[in-house]
Amino acid sequence: MSKRILVVEDHADNRQIIRDMLAPTGYEITEVENGEEALAAIANQRPDLILMDIQLPVMDGYETARRIKADPALRSIPIIAVTSYALSGEEKKARAAGCDEYVPKPFSPRQLLAKIRNFLQRSQLLQCMRLLLAQSRHFETEF
Amino acid sequence: MGLLSLHEANQQANQLVALQHKIEAYRQVQHDTLRQLYGVSTVLAFPNATTLASVLRQMNQFGYDLDRISFVAKDEAALLDQVREECARFIAVVSHVIDLIRNGQAAEAKQSELAEPGPLADKLERLTNQLVNRAEADMVAGIDASQQTYAKSQALVAAGALASFVLTLVLGHTISRAVIDPVRIIHDGLSRIAAGDFSHRIEVPNPDELGALAAHVNSTREELQQLYGSLEEASRHKSQFLANMSHELRTPLNAILGYAELMADGAYGEPSEKMLGILKRLEANGKHLLGLINDALDLSKIEAGQLVLELSDYSIRDITQTVRNALEPLAADKKLAFKVEVDPEFPSGRGDERRLTQVLINLAGNAIKFTDAGEVAIKAEANNGSFHVLVRDTGPGVSAADQAKLFQEFQQADNAITRKKGGTGLGLAISKRIIEMHGGRIWVDSIVGQGSTFSFTLPITVERQVEAA
Repeated sequence: MSKRILVVEDHADNRQIIRDMLAPTGYEITEVENGEEALAAIANQRPDLILMDIQLPVMDGYETARRIKADPALRSIPIIAVTSYALSGEEKKARAAGCDEYVPKPFSPRQLLAKIRNFLQRSQLLQCMRLLLAQSRHFETEF
Repeated sequence: MGLLSLHEANQQANQLVALQHKIEAYRQVQHDTLRQLYGVSTVLAFPNATTLASVLRQMNQFGYDLDRISFVAKDEAALLDQVREECARFIAVVSHVIDLIRNGQAAEAKQSELAEPGPLADKLERLTNQLVNRAEADMVAGIDASQQTYAKSQALVAAGALASFVLTLVLGHTISRAVIDPVRIIHDGLSRIAAGDFSHRIEVPNPDELGALAAHVNSTREELQQLYGSLEEASRHKSQFLANMSHELRTPLNAILGYAELMADGAYGEPSEKMLGILKRLEANGKHLLGLINDALDLSKIEAGQLVLELSDYSIRDITQTVRNALEPLAADKKLAFKVEVDPEFPSGRGDERRLTQVLINLAGNAIKFTDAGEVAIKAEANNGSFHVLVRDTGPGVSAADQAKLFQEFQQADNAITRKKGGTGLGLAISKRIIEMHGGRIWVDSIVGQGSTFSFTLPITVERQVEAA
């Protein structure tokens, strides 16, 4: 089962770059252009990871991240903030909004891809462990 | 008063001199009378032409002296008339005696000389004595008066001195109230303005030039206040503008750098050798542009006072390690030795670790950039509560003229090498501000052709950032 990545980015070229960057990986990509569309897309189909631009029309990345992290069912989805805000304290703000990682623009596609893989492997690992745990409980009750 | 008194004293002295002259003249007449008598006696004893001529000459002299008396003693008119009368008679008698002698009547003349000139001469002497006495009395009185005048002028001078002293006090007080106090108020007001406090109005009630000056200062203060307000707003706008600009520039730059990297990684098909070279140039230029954007933003934040140090405990060893990790590949590319000398027992400091790392990366990065052969060394020492960190290279060095400009914005050593090496020209200016915000100092020692040493010192423990002057 291929991983699903939600890309929230209003700049067409940056969406294109992310798409081209992810093309060889086989991940499934959903693209939206603002926070509201992102929430709608998540409600429609749960992604395994979110790449979130911060400066967005309609609803910005911080607000969107806060709403996602407020939902217990969605809380575990990792969010990588990708922002061109460069003022100091920006990373703090991103973490406070619930983002799991902060990547300033301009980003290197190579490095961003490495981070994405890292997060997905970690969540896959977590999933495996959860599965194992459930199975061991199942054994306990059976015998 | 003093002048008047002096004038009086002067007059007294003149009078004394006049009296002296008078007395002299009187005495001369007395003397003449005696000589006349003596002359007549001589003629009688030895009646000849010589003695006669002598008596006649003395008679002339007598008349002359008499005129002198009337000239010097105009005020003694009554007595003088008497003297003159007696003199005339005396002269007449003497003349008579002489005539008798001339005519050979010596015996008669002798008789006449005995009978008349003697008593007359006595009378004359009495009279002139009287005159002399009076003149002397006048003189004593004059001296007395002169002494009195002297005492008076002494008292007057003393009183004058006292009066001037009191006047000075009164004037001083008045001037102080009228001039010095307002000047002080204006000065205090200007000091406040100079310190950036524009809220204080200067109150000087003087209706004179000082009042006008205070009014001018007040109106200037209001203009300055407005100007200052708009400057502050402009500065805020500038910072906001730069922050927005930085953000807006980053977005397209992200696309440029992103596409270049994907292309180089073969995302759009395997690139040729030549294409790879061009893509590297594209990436290098894009990164340079990004450096410029970051530095301009940093500098504008520092200038707007928005750059705040994030103080925490740090280790110089960790910082140098970070710098080594970041720059060792660059040094290796140029086949330069890269040395870091820090004592393992180095104490930990307190300051903004990220900013200090930025400074050291800037200094060491410059050293690697400008050095073509040899080594780049980072050395850190701690003594007397300060860290002393230096970056030494074996590069081309910096001329004394360029050393002074090096830490100013957009000032690079102006030679072909720097143009070839690029750089934003802001790194050292930012480094200088960061070190100064830590209360430290940064400088360069260099001899052209023998390399450069960039050094900075900073307090080991920084508890408060130093505001930019």
